[in-house]
Amino acid sequence: MASWELQTTIGKPLAVAGGRMTVTPQARRLVLRWRSTSFVWNRPVAVLVERGGQVQRYPIRDVTRLVQLGLGGATLLIVAAGLIASWRKKGAAQPWRP
Amino acid sequence: METMETANLMASAIEKDQQQTQLVAQKIFAAAQPGAVFGEPVVQGAYTVITASEVKAGGGFGLGRSFGPAAPRAAPSEAGAPPASAPAAETLGGGGGGGGWSEGRPVAIVVIGPQGVQVRPVVDVTKLLIAVVSAWIGIGAALARARRR
Repeated sequence: MASWELQTTIGKPLAVAGGRMTVTPQARRLVLRWRSTSFVWNRPVAVLVERGGQVQRYPIRDVTRLVQLGLGGATLLIVAAGLIASWRKKGAAQPWRP
Repeated sequence: METMETANLMASAIEKDQQQTQLVAQKIFAAAQPGAVFGEPVVQGAYTVITASEVKAGGGFGLGRSFGPAAPRAAPSEAGAPPASAPAAETLGGGGGGGGWSEGRPVAIVVIGPQGVQVRPVVDVTKLLIAVVSAWIGIGAALARARRR
């Protein structure tokens, strides 16, 4: 039976700066299971810093992944625009029309 | 008696398989722990550095066993008499296979110092170059195809 699980996990808090600050890592994981096959994707999302009784959240952004997704999305848009423009040419077939 | 021995053999083989599959699953799911994503902090003077990475792992395995009577063998008989068949022996057969993969990539570095906490992203230039080249090839192929129409 297939199952999936998406959850935010919190790691072990670390005392840093001579104990003045506590840093707690936060990660998000996706686990997919199907029969004897499993897939795990675990990525960091933020660190929680506790200082003087106050907790501040510092998000971790994956710049490489964001740029890849942006490039992929832009490519799809340009390719789709090019295909639609070519279909609109006079005498060209338009697949979406019967 | 033979049936009992074969059944015991099968039971111990199944137990070994289960232990191996548990071991493989543990190795894969080690990537699911928060500790796999954040590295050990490195302290240098007033600064503490923690590496944050993205971790992926996957794997699968399959096992098969069969258990049943073997085809009875005809025992040699005297001339003119019908052939007598020997009692069928229990047989056990099986096989299995599996594979796995894992990868890790640094995403950011958390620097804790006197100025406070800084999260510095790690940019993988190689991956970005591959993405740019792939995008150009995709756009070029689509435009060339559109011009041919």
